[in-house]
Amino acid sequence: MNVSTRRTREIIASMRIIWKEPLLLVAILAIFYFLILFVAFPIFQVFRYSLVVDKQFDPSNYVAVFSARYYYQPFLNSILLGTITATTGSIMGFGFAYALTRTALPLKGFFRQTITFPIISPPFVVALSAILLFGRAGSLAPILQRIIGEYSIYGLGGLVFVETIAYGPTAFLVLYGVLQAIDPALEEASMDLGASRARVFTTVTLPLAVPGIASAWLLVFIQSMADFGNPMIISGDFRVLSVQAFLQITGMYDLSRGATLAVLLFIPTTVAFFLQKYWVSRKSYVTVTGKPTAATIKRLEWYIKVPVYTLCIVFTAMVFLLYGTIIYGSFQKLWGVDRTLTLNNYVQMFRVGKDYIIDSLSLSTLATPLTGLLGMFIAFLVVRKRFIGRGVMEFTSMLTFAVPGTVVGIGYILAFNQRSALFPFILTGTGWIIVLLLIFRNMPVGIRSGIAALQQIDPAIEEASTDLGADSSTTFRRVTLPMIAPAFFSGLAFGFVKAMTAISAVIFVVSGKWNLITVAILGFVDNSQYAPAAAMSLLLIVIVMISLGIIQLVVNRIGQGVRTTTIIG
Amino acid sequence: MKRLFLVLLLAALATAGFSSPVAEVLHMYTAFDTEEAQYYIEAFEAETGIKVEWVRMSSGEVLARVEAEASNPQASVWHAGSNTSHINAASKGLLAPYRPNTDFQLQPQLHADDWAWTGFYTGAIGFISNKDFLSKKGAKAPTSWTDLLNPAFAKNVALAYPYTSGTAYTTYATLVQMLGEKETLDWWAKFDQQSVFQYTKSGTGCIPMVGLGEVGVGIAFSHDIVAKGINAGYPVVMTFPKEGTGYEVGGLSLIKGGPEPELGKQFIDWCYTVKAQNLFQKYSRLPVNPKATVAPGAVTMDQVKLIDYDAIWAGENKDRLIEAWRDRIGK
Repeated sequence: MNVSTRRTREIIASMRIIWKEPLLLVAILAIFYFLILFVAFPIFQVFRYSLVVDKQFDPSNYVAVFSARYYYQPFLNSILLGTITATTGSIMGFGFAYALTRTALPLKGFFRQTITFPIISPPFVVALSAILLFGRAGSLAPILQRIIGEYSIYGLGGLVFVETIAYGPTAFLVLYGVLQAIDPALEEASMDLGASRARVFTTVTLPLAVPGIASAWLLVFIQSMADFGNPMIISGDFRVLSVQAFLQITGMYDLSRGATLAVLLFIPTTVAFFLQKYWVSRKSYVTVTGKPTAATIKRLEWYIKVPVYTLCIVFTAMVFLLYGTIIYGSFQKLWGVDRTLTLNNYVQMFRVGKDYIIDSLSLSTLATPLTGLLGMFIAFLVVRKRFIGRGVMEFTSMLTFAVPGTVVGIGYILAFNQRSALFPFILTGTGWIIVLLLIFRNMPVGIRSGIAALQQIDPAIEEASTDLGADSSTTFRRVTLPMIAPAFFSGLAFGFVKAMTAISAVIFVVSGKWNLITVAILGFVDNSQYAPAAAMSLLLIVIVMISLGIIQLVVNRIGQGVRTTTIIG
Repeated sequence: MKRLFLVLLLAALATAGFSSPVAEVLHMYTAFDTEEAQYYIEAFEAETGIKVEWVRMSSGEVLARVEAEASNPQASVWHAGSNTSHINAASKGLLAPYRPNTDFQLQPQLHADDWAWTGFYTGAIGFISNKDFLSKKGAKAPTSWTDLLNPAFAKNVALAYPYTSGTAYTTYATLVQMLGEKETLDWWAKFDQQSVFQYTKSGTGCIPMVGLGEVGVGIAFSHDIVAKGINAGYPVVMTFPKEGTGYEVGGLSLIKGGPEPELGKQFIDWCYTVKAQNLFQKYSRLPVNPKATVAPGAVTMDQVKLIDYDAIWAGENKDRLIEAWRDRIGK
């Protein structure tokens, strides 16, 4: 029997199974409708704008982009930046994840809390702080100059530095979950058989973590490519594509050419996506076997300890320094010039920003659980179910992540300021459009963590449930969900953080009635009022920290529950 | 699964009534920064009792937004931003002409021929320099365009991209109107090579950079230099080019098909009252109403050598001039 007919039969068989579960079928269809409407359609509109001039197909935008250096150079720069940052970020993330799951590093909670800081702050805050510390007139510039000689924080080097700090923690979150899920018993077994720690690392730990590393690398790569907050502030003459697309749209009012540049961002992202998918699918990562989990190994050789600990300490110190500068700055009368301490910035912040704060909180609180549930459910369908269009579903749901926020925002306006055959309502100017944008833009994070978690779990556990007579929804609720709960909640936490700190896309869909805190911060930054901007960023960070703390408590409780149940097997 | 749907349903119910619009509210886009916009808008609300719901964006973003929403406009008024952008919007048919009721005669360079937009404040292009930087380099603050090529300022000048900022575009268009297109680009290529350290997105972005000593010299509007540089407490000094300089007119317009045209007109009229124009003192902008008071320290138009700046020509030729700039400078 050749492969393709066997595959067809498998699909038919799986469709028959789905047919027996109408609820699952309805859910799949509903999700497809949502994905088409809120992900594909706005992006389609953007494509249409790049390809249609005066109602006719016309590739002139692309011809222009590929013939002018000021358009294609940023494209090359972005790929270079994304590659470097993804690599440095993954190394950083892995080092931290390894230290926190496999070593006797003291104060683990402290280290963990510290590096979640960059994730929960608006990204451009790191760049701002970096300039104040290391810029030409920065407070640490003279010292650094004495150590490394003439340097400039503006450009590729500064960007890599800032983005590694801003996005490396994303890699950490993914890899931390992955390393936690890898049963230490496997490593212990290898050690008991006489392998050195280094050998255990290269032959057991690392291969098991490869899918996770690939996911992390991909996430950081895409984040770096799409980031515009940091490049806007610190890129200097190193111009990147996301910023150029943004400037093209917001600065030159050129929707079609901006859309064209955005389309160019698809190419590297899509390549990265398929590469990762192909690579990951060849590896096996089933480690949750239902066998007892032994205690984590703590014995360590110095050649592992020294570099890993150094990495953790240096990075943590850097985070403290960067955010300390922001905290300090928020109390200064005029940041960088008049160091008199004052509370004025906070007074000003509350006077100007009260409504923004309330709107941000309520819209994000609404969007977050929907983001998490939808993301996890799609991850479940994609990993565990076989149905026609599964790959399409996975790809579509990742799309909003690959497109720069500005373009998603413009796409939303183009798609929802008029009635269409797909959707008979006008959404612009409402709170709905913000919530929907937040949900569908942040959902890929939930999906990624869901997929990574699900791939760690042996499907046999779910099959057992099905064999015992449970249907798909019962299995998902009673078996899958509890096992992926930690990933689910970290996806949820991340979704909330992203909703609160989002700016590039939402700035196009905010309205007089519904506005957001980040838009207010950007207003301050744009107006060079760094101190009130710092004060407001801090408030945002505090809000997010409190929410994260609550979610962390929930995860800990559920995590314990999971461990007890798996031990029984 | 049932619980999942229940959660979704509850969430949907919780947000019902979320999108119902409130009547007698003026919706508006403003290009002033958040704090400054709030200062004027609160005064308007207090005086008229009309509630304003507003969003702050750069003028480029406002234009992109108004254009994208053309089939279903969400706001009635476009408040502030260089008139260049308003002229651009008018040429795309996005604005509704309106002649405001004023207690004075609005000069012809302060409004469109068909009143698609009107100007409600002005400001000249000037140079801002960091005092510490100047004394360290032993240089004088620039007082002419050629001074910007002074080796002392090598890689120490910042300004915005002409294609993202009304300020920088006004600078560029001023030079083109003074020197001619080719000569301006020749000069700029040299200027870019020798002196420019970095371009910023917004026109005011260079002010704190100069204030903090990141760069020595910046080019911006005088009212921004006064309000955000000098009055903010930075060690900076303001100078003007002796060959002449261009100026901006702050635009105000009614968006075509906006939801509340009458409230919008009322707001526009209010912006020209002496009371409203006096508010500009706080931000050192120059009022257009001759009865209004000019802020101390603000530079009035008769104190600076101005060129006969043609904003309408600048607005209409923007796309072409920008493309020429980008082709030549490559940024």
